Amino acid sequence: MEPLDGGEPDHDALEESAYATAATRGPLIVTALGSLLGAVFAALSTSDFMQHLDRQVHAIHCSFIPGAAKELGESGCKAVMMSPYSSFFRESVWGGVPVSVWALATFAYLTYRATLLAWRGKPTRAETSFLLLATALPGLMSLIYGYLSVAKVGSTCKTCMGIYVSSALVFVGALVAHLKNPAQPEGSSTLGRSVGWFGEGVAFVAVLTVTYLVFTPTADKKNALQGCGTLVSGDDPNGVMIPLPSGDGESAIEVLDPLCPACKAFDERLGASGLRGKLDLKAVLFPLDPSCNWMVTEALHPGACAVSEAVLCAGGVAGGAKDEKAAHAVLSWAFKNQEKLRELAAKDEGALRAKLEATFPNVKGCLGKALVKSKLTKSLRWAVGNAIPVLTPQLFVGNSRLCDEDSDLGLEYTLSHMLSKEGRLARAQLKPTPKAKPAATPEVRP
Amino acid sequence: MSDAAKRWGLLAVALVTPTAMIATWASAAQTRLKETASEAKDVAIASVSDDSYCTPKLKAIIRRVAGACGLIEGGGGRGCQPLEAKKVAALSGDEFNALFTPLSKRASIIQFDSGKTDLDPDGAATIEKAWSDQRGASFFFVVSRASTDGSADLNETLSRDRAKAVLTHLQGKFKDEDLKNQVGLLWLGEQYAQLGDEFCTWNRSRTGACTELEINRSAFVAWIDCAI
Repeated sequence: MEPLDGGEPDHDALEESAYATAATRGPLIVTALGSLLGAVFAALSTSDFMQHLDRQVHAIHCSFIPGAAKELGESGCKAVMMSPYSSFFRESVWGGVPVSVWALATFAYLTYRATLLAWRGKPTRAETSFLLLATALPGLMSLIYGYLSVAKVGSTCKTCMGIYVSSALVFVGALVAHLKNPAQPEGSSTLGRSVGWFGEGVAFVAVLTVTYLVFTPTADKKNALQGCGTLVSGDDPNGVMIPLPSGDGESAIEVLDPLCPACKAFDERLGASGLRGKLDLKAVLFPLDPSCNWMVTEALHPGACAVSEAVLCAGGVAGGAKDEKAAHAVLSWAFKNQEKLRELAAKDEGALRAKLEATFPNVKGCLGKALVKSKLTKSLRWAVGNAIPVLTPQLFVGNSRLCDEDSDLGLEYTLSHMLSKEGRLARAQLKPTPKAKPAATPEVRP
Repeated sequence: MSDAAKRWGLLAVALVTPTAMIATWASAAQTRLKETASEAKDVAIASVSDDSYCTPKLKAIIRRVAGACGLIEGGGGRGCQPLEAKKVAALSGDEFNALFTPLSKRASIIQFDSGKTDLDPDGAATIEKAWSDQRGASFFFVVSRASTDGSADLNETLSRDRAKAVLTHLQGKFKDEDLKNQVGLLWLGEQYAQLGDEFCTWNRSRTGACTELEINRSAFVAWIDCAI
């Protein structure tokens, strides 16, 4: 058998090679299998991400078992996938380039390298040394992403955990292989060969990234600049809007339900996107709860009316300056405790109202009273007056509505386009939605 | 197999497999995107209430009354004289009252003392509760009456002032610009559509005994959940 990278064989070297092969084959196989497992998890994650490029809602994989069935609905995997950390270049590419594509490229490359060394045998110290360095990359990224997942997103993802475990396995395998590989005299071309191996790794990442960019569905430029529909009027004659923490940029309205998980996720995405600072954001409460909202027949978010009342009470239902901080405090608390509050309200709305008063004493004497109920009705009728869809969340930039399909993975891409100079010009050309007319012309005095 | 063959074979498999997978997933997403783009989106649009009791006949009558009595923006001044209400409704008193039967759970009857037009605290609270329960309704009817005690002229004045007392309280409490487009007053005096004592079982501002005379010293208030 010839040495892979050239050179003259001698007996000592052959003996060393035979020993190296026997000592390292086991750990290299572990490395190869770990890389393959990591590639499978990365492929599942990439597949989940990419199916959302059709702008629809899909079930996703969320299990430690690679072949397990997909899950629909909220999960740690969904939260992580929708977070801004799941992809890069989001303002340039709709959805961005998923980091899992690079994970897939890296694991595919490591599978190739480890399999080659195990299959061919007689790995040199330089080869196992490079492999060890290469496996440190997914290990390091796993540490960073594990931290982001827990500290920033607040959810852990089982598929990601699979990648983290695979990364650890790969690193340990490569480390053992390197430690068991006997020291050998290295040729002068070690550096050159290392550069070549590194180049192969870079090529894996580059090829997969370019393939992704070439084949990924392109965004609708018109929707990205103009949005989907307009308001009749963004005015707030009844003072129902609640200023939200934001910058002093373009006026924007977020239609939300304080107990709606999608609203919470959207609000977090908007904050993490860094684009909130470019908006002067206000909230319009639109609880999807039939106890106050006649437009819904099912209690999608029980207790949302009571919590909305509390937000309005804290902000101040009478005219004049609003206590924005107090309103934010209730809204943030509601977002944080959504599930518990919905469960409590489903059993006993009175108990929810008591909890609201106990947590926020400043809403006592206001919650449930005629003034705040009337104010909440005004908030709902703002939606009627503007003929907006019955759903939450919705974001209006100026008078233009962000398309629903652009409110998750495509948020940064679309919002940055709407806020661009080109987007401002495009939106300025839009006409407001005409005011709804009565079903028939009213009859006058006969 | 030579080492070079092993290397290039493995390299090809490791690189081509994920590349093909990504190209396939992206193409599939592109195809679905094109398919869904052409589908109509069936999303409800926010609108006012149009309850099941709003039959075409009821709507026609409410539209006529509302337009003539100023409930609809641009429909004329607020308030109808008793005979005008009868004229625009083109109904008998019983038929007129029957219009409001479906509102038994939605309406409130604000009671007054004999010969008085002042709201008592319970009456004020009942009005506020009724007003705050607007939901998707577009028009707030205030239909005031007087009992048959006293002269017809006095009773007409009493019923008018009772309707205005309700409006004044709403204006003072809620300071709501929409009041002028949403509240319609009809004062019927004693001449038209007197309430029967069956209305004593409805939501009233006073508890206890209730006679036909007492139930007519009142203002009937209700949001109308009809999109007209």
